[in-house]
Amino acid sequence: MDADSDVALDILITNVVCVFRTRCHLNLRKIALEGANVIYKRDVGKVLMKLRKPRITATIWSSGRVMCTGATSEEEAKFGARRLARSLQKLGFQVIFTDFKVVNVLAVCNMPFEIRLPEFTKNNRPHASYEPELHPAVCYRIKTLRATLQIFSTGSITVTGPNVKAVASAVEQIYPFVFESRK
Amino acid sequence: MAAGGSCPGCGSAALVEDAHYAQQQLVCASCGCVLAEGLLTTTYAEEEHLREVAYSQSTGQKEQLSRCLQRGIRRVQDLCKVLQLPTVFEETAVSYFQRAVQHPSFHLVSLEKKELLGGCCVFVTCRQHSWPLTMGTICSLLYAKQELFASVYLSLQKELELSVPALSLADLVKTHLNSFRLFQHAADVPAPFVEDKEKMVTRTMQIVELASETWLVTGRHPVPIVTAAAFLSWQSLQPAARLTCTFARFCKVAGVDLPPPAHLRLKELLEILLRMASQLAWLRVFKMDKKTVVKHIGDLLQHRIFLLKNAFCLEDEEERCATALGEHSPVSPPAQEEGCPAEGKRQREGGPGPLLPPCLTNPRKRLRTAAPSASDLAITGDEPISDSEIEQYLRGPEEIRAFRQAKAWP
Repeated sequence: MDADSDVALDILITNVVCVFRTRCHLNLRKIALEGANVIYKRDVGKVLMKLRKPRITATIWSSGRVMCTGATSEEEAKFGARRLARSLQKLGFQVIFTDFKVVNVLAVCNMPFEIRLPEFTKNNRPHASYEPELHPAVCYRIKTLRATLQIFSTGSITVTGPNVKAVASAVEQIYPFVFESRK
Repeated sequence: MAAGGSCPGCGSAALVEDAHYAQQQLVCASCGCVLAEGLLTTTYAEEEHLREVAYSQSTGQKEQLSRCLQRGIRRVQDLCKVLQLPTVFEETAVSYFQRAVQHPSFHLVSLEKKELLGGCCVFVTCRQHSWPLTMGTICSLLYAKQELFASVYLSLQKELELSVPALSLADLVKTHLNSFRLFQHAADVPAPFVEDKEKMVTRTMQIVELASETWLVTGRHPVPIVTAAAFLSWQSLQPAARLTCTFARFCKVAGVDLPPPAHLRLKELLEILLRMASQLAWLRVFKMDKKTVVKHIGDLLQHRIFLLKNAFCLEDEEERCATALGEHSPVSPPAQEEGCPAEGKRQREGGPGPLLPPCLTNPRKRLRTAAPSASDLAITGDEPISDSEIEQYLRGPEEIRAFRQAKAWP
């Protein structure tokens, strides 16, 4: 078996986090009263609103910043964020949908082989950190992509990065190293 | 001291013992020639009651450091003394601590974290010198929560860019077994339970090596594995008297804690041993179970390489043989021509299955499959939004009125 690029790995995106601004002050009490599917957390000063069609949970602050989590792609995140902004508009606020940005993408990838973690850590010394007393996986950081990978001995890899492209590049970059230390 | 004799200079026999400042000397009374000098340092016996004074305490070096730093350094030194570490470790740990506290990310942390920082420096020093110290030990000495210790340790490693080598299991086995109280006769230790330390250490190391070859060690906390391996090796050295003793009782008699995952590790180890026993020719006739396999651990460990190869599909050729149903392939080990099952789950009697980590052979959750539907792929994010879609997320006016009345919103 050779570590060539013909191996097709399924990278499953499990979560995309995005933020946007509404450029206006939001009255959280009004949203909690007139919106359906909302939870008002008065002690921390935010409202959680859940959408059904794209399964998204939005955290709304009174300053007008909104964070959406739960989407499975960047497009879906934008789709849900726009629907949320429209709902806020219907509630009577002067919402302008601006500064939309995807901040975090979480993806899972399964390698078709098991990985020897102590050997992998020894070969990738400064980037890889393995503390079995704390966590069962090796934590590998790629500074250039600002991505973090958690590599488990079963071959399952969890990647977090700033966007989907970075996540895909991270998996591509890690594959040869992980292949070296396979079972 | 030269006893008697004559002076080599003048030949006189008048030798006097004199003290020149603090140094004992054997001097010739006639010509003043020094025959022998005492040692400048004292012997160990004499030094028992003396306290060595460190340079930093006798000079004014300490006054230049802030009180917080002084306290932290003293704490680090005390920790090293409690753990009976060599002096080199103490110096390295103190230097790391000084570097860390000057670093901007640790300069203003809480006192609790600064104390943990001291503990982390000691921990890092021990790991770098292959001294087997676990986080559990340090946390219990500092009365700290493991999560907080973990976060301080990871940020210390990142900020100071320290390379910390992995914990060596072999050293951990030796140190952990040192704390067991089974190697000497004592009032609360029954006679058949006492064991020879060397034998137990050797056998425990072999079992731990077996565990690391069979995926039981990767990703797991090391101490429960060592405890479970120690229990098995202890039982197997005198099975007749010890098979009836439970794991909990063993830990109580030995005076060590029983960590919760140790039971699971024990179970996994016994499963591996049973699989290996099924390949041993003279054990195949017996019906082995978890109790009886302990008696044969010695034999199993002696032939473990051969047994592991036969009990599990370790080679690539054998994996391909397993997937190719019924096909003949040039497989090297002659002992197993037939009986390669397709998956590890379907294990027939004595048939080899793949050697997988335990969580793959007993999966608790269904593995996710990537299945993006066609409609999901078509989303661009900029589709028009219909009013009806938004209405479902808003309450109607009657609902709002009813809510206002019910909640009596302030």
